[in-house]
Amino acid sequence: MLNASRVLKISAVVLLAVAILAFPSLAPNPYILSAGVLVLNYAVLSTSWNFVGGFTGYISLGHGALAGLGAYGTGLLVAKGGLPPFLALFVGAGLVALLAVPIGFAALRVRGASFVIVSISLVLILLLVFQSWASVTGGSRGLVVPRPFDLSRPEHHRVFYYLFAALLAVALLAWWLIDRSRFGLGLKSIREDEDKAEALGTATFSYKLIVFVVSAGFTALAGGMYALWFGDLDPVFQFSILTGSYLVLMALLGGVRQLFGPVTGAIIVGVALEYFKVEYGDTPLHLVATGLLLALVVLFMPDGILPAIGDLLKRFDRTQRSSIREVTAAELREQRLTEANGAAR
Amino acid sequence: MILTLGACSSGGEETGGGDDPIVIGVSLPLTGDFSEPGKGVQQGYEAWAKIVNDKGGLLGRPVELKILDDQSNADRVVADYEQLIGKDEVDLVFGPFSTRLVVPSARVAEEYDMLFVEPAGAAKEVFEQGFKNLFYAAPAVANDHYNHLAEKILAMPADQRPKTAAYAAMDDPFAQGTAYGLKEKLEAGGVKTVVNEVYPPNTTDFSGIAAKIADSKADVLVGGSQYQDGVNLIVALQQLGYQPKLAAFSTAPTNPEFASAIGNKTEGVLSPTGYSQDAQYPSNKEFVEKYTAQFGKAPEEDQANGYTTGEVVAAAVTAVGCAEQGECQQKLVDWVRANTVDTVVGPLSWDETGKPKGAHMIQQWVGGDIKIVLPEDVKEAEFLYPKPAW
Amino acid sequence: MPSGALLFQSVLLGLLLGGLYALLASGLTLYFGIMRVVMIAHSAFLILAAYLAWYLHEQAGIDPLLSMIVTVPLFFGAGVGLQRLLLTRLRPATLTMMSVLLTFAIALLIEGLLGYAFTGTQRRINLGYGSASIEVFGARIAVVKLIAFVLAVVALSALYLLMKKTRFGWALRATIQHRDAARLLGIDTDRVAGFGFGIGLATAAIGGTALSLDTTIYPSLHWHWIGPLMAIIVVGGLGSVPGAAMAALVLGMAQSLLQIPLGTTWAQTVFYVALFATLAIRPQGFFGGRLAQRF
Repeated sequence: MLNASRVLKISAVVLLAVAILAFPSLAPNPYILSAGVLVLNYAVLSTSWNFVGGFTGYISLGHGALAGLGAYGTGLLVAKGGLPPFLALFVGAGLVALLAVPIGFAALRVRGASFVIVSISLVLILLLVFQSWASVTGGSRGLVVPRPFDLSRPEHHRVFYYLFAALLAVALLAWWLIDRSRFGLGLKSIREDEDKAEALGTATFSYKLIVFVVSAGFTALAGGMYALWFGDLDPVFQFSILTGSYLVLMALLGGVRQLFGPVTGAIIVGVALEYFKVEYGDTPLHLVATGLLLALVVLFMPDGILPAIGDLLKRFDRTQRSSIREVTAAELREQRLTEANGAAR
Repeated sequence: MILTLGACSSGGEETGGGDDPIVIGVSLPLTGDFSEPGKGVQQGYEAWAKIVNDKGGLLGRPVELKILDDQSNADRVVADYEQLIGKDEVDLVFGPFSTRLVVPSARVAEEYDMLFVEPAGAAKEVFEQGFKNLFYAAPAVANDHYNHLAEKILAMPADQRPKTAAYAAMDDPFAQGTAYGLKEKLEAGGVKTVVNEVYPPNTTDFSGIAAKIADSKADVLVGGSQYQDGVNLIVALQQLGYQPKLAAFSTAPTNPEFASAIGNKTEGVLSPTGYSQDAQYPSNKEFVEKYTAQFGKAPEEDQANGYTTGEVVAAAVTAVGCAEQGECQQKLVDWVRANTVDTVVGPLSWDETGKPKGAHMIQQWVGGDIKIVLPEDVKEAEFLYPKPAW
Repeated sequence: MPSGALLFQSVLLGLLLGGLYALLASGLTLYFGIMRVVMIAHSAFLILAAYLAWYLHEQAGIDPLLSMIVTVPLFFGAGVGLQRLLLTRLRPATLTMMSVLLTFAIALLIEGLLGYAFTGTQRRINLGYGSASIEVFGARIAVVKLIAFVLAVVALSALYLLMKKTRFGWALRATIQHRDAARLLGIDTDRVAGFGFGIGLATAAIGGTALSLDTTIYPSLHWHWIGPLMAIIVVGGLGSVPGAAMAALVLGMAQSLLQIPLGTTWAQTVFYVALFATLAIRPQGFFGGRLAQRF
């Protein structure tokens, strides 16, 4: 039996999908379309980030570096390895996922603080390596990635818009599947209380490592796709600590426990970034705004916007049907779980 | 930051064509690593727009600059040109500063079929990308900047000629291009390379590089620098008491703040330049005079490069008789390719890759001022060698 | 093979650099000891202090060293305020993660405001004695680097005396070792934690002044400092001040010596190599106690 809030949820999702798919035909000029590609890129990246952040509660500030690795991996495989672009994309992402195993091994053996330190260090060390190792990476001169298709610029944007949309759909599907699985339950138990989860026999370390590798793979795919779309890679931008912080902000703002949280956050933050750029040009005030928003979210809304809206709707719902209590067993379980989570905090 | 330079007057005499301004889109590094030269180019563009508008504009239409700040960031520069061409639908574009930013932005212009004349993409990579719409508005590419100096050094009698050289260059196509152009020629002439260091653009601690150079006691010091990195390297070398017989740096020594930044110990420092305020080209007198009136000081090389870009585009627009996106752009490209343009840095013409065919002059700090010392026929002062201590 | 003179020169440079690292890392590890907080904004405050020194010198011609009269108390107050007003608001269960984000946000704010106020252009103080140096057995030590080193040594010694010899220092160390037990002994741990943060930020003020003497500064420079500093405190053992100082000297020296064969950029990677090696071999760090094991 469908209740009102589920109908609402489904129609919101359908609306979002339709809006995303219809956007290219509505975009008034190629610039807006290119901004749309960027926002979708952010959406894929923050959803990928959320495999680690949402399920395990480990906050990585280094996902920008994984995206950069994916971008350079793909770019180098195409430009120097001579691989076809989309084969290079998947090979590159595979290599990054492989590399994520030792990184995750060092980062996840210890709790929280060291993980954050490693994730930030990852960005900084890769920046150094990609700047210095100029004979391979092109150094500060950057790397030019050949165009995969011979198209005019607006057409090029349109094609990549749909490619990013497809990648987003796959990432969301994967997240949803894990969310429903036993594996996902184990991960969430780490988020709630790692010691208890371990005591209850969850293989916390391998769980964390697996989900970190999955997250890295998706992040690298998004990065590689960006490389094929954008064409010019510069280490300073690819290995920027700011990219990682945008992803965290987007995911937190939208809500890390929600499937569509990071996408929502990416749309809000991404659109705001582009809007401010067009209206006020490029000033360091971007950083100020990002910093303020991040601080506000951390201090006052650590669960994100979507749960806040959800609560609002629920309250609205309850006044409508205060006397009728009709929930499925699954929903009741979920409700209890969230209540329990709330109490645990 | 969006700076829009309004059209002051739209010229009374000309009728028809309308007062609809010709909007020219530019993205420049007004903040970040390249902000010093970026602002110089901006002033050159602004001077050009003012001088053109005071004369009644182009094709009877006033010109208007729309300048965005790309923060010296290759990613931003692409978004900027995308916005300027795709959204703001500017009629023409001018190039940005720094080779690193020229290549990505030239691709945007290329894919939108826009004419792309640029003031700063001097490294040879720029001309190896297969761009068909790109033209570099200066006399010579980076690797040829020191040609006159190399000749001078190698022509010295054997007992005076320097034997060893140390090179330190920023990992930037332009800065490295200048240093390596000289390195190639000196090595071929028998001057031994004893130190060869490359540092990324955001380097601030030069003590390690300086220690190596000082230890090598090289006769010649060549710095492939932008601005601040050159200053930092010199100060670090001064701290270590290193005294070369000859020191050449790209860009940095021409900056107005260079002398005070290194404690006024500039005597004998060399730098290549493509521009001289005293050059006798017809448009240069007008430029120096009006620029000085507008900004209160004489123009430097960066300003001249910006101005030259404007002159080249203006010549094409006037000759072809149009300035808008679409088919007009191809006509402009064809015209520039086929013609020679008189500019403040002399007559310019280009090969099929957009590379200019010319050479650079060499300047030296002599008696507290920077003066042209090479080539012989245009020199303002005698070449000073060996360099006094700093 | 590098000459003996170059090696000796590099050892001296490494020692001078290590001293500055030691001062800055001790502040960073102090925060962690007190509250299990990785204070990402530490180096942003460092750059802020350097900018204040530069600005005062530029506007009023004040010697950068004198700017400490203003910045040190100011930063101490800011540190106390930061701890009492912001960090205590976070949920204890997610404190480590959320405090990282909060201090990260503060770092972005500082960077953005510095960029807005002074643009991204690189700045450097032109001092009369900027290029002066003293000769020591054939090697040269720049006067400005020596002043920075002396500042760091004095500040570190003061910190050491404070922690070992004063009642407040005992309370601070007790709070670091076991917060609950310290509270049971009647120590006002909240107050102590606030002051601890103040002291941490005061070290950033001193470090920033030292930095401004001899380096070019720009708003995003703090990212280049926070990486090595974080690596140092992990290698030294999270929360251990002597550990951080030791690790700083060792790694600073290693960086300086590695510059000879590897060049500047590759030499910087030594910090991260040490970080990853420490986490893989000995996650609690080489000088720290048991505390680090769980974090």
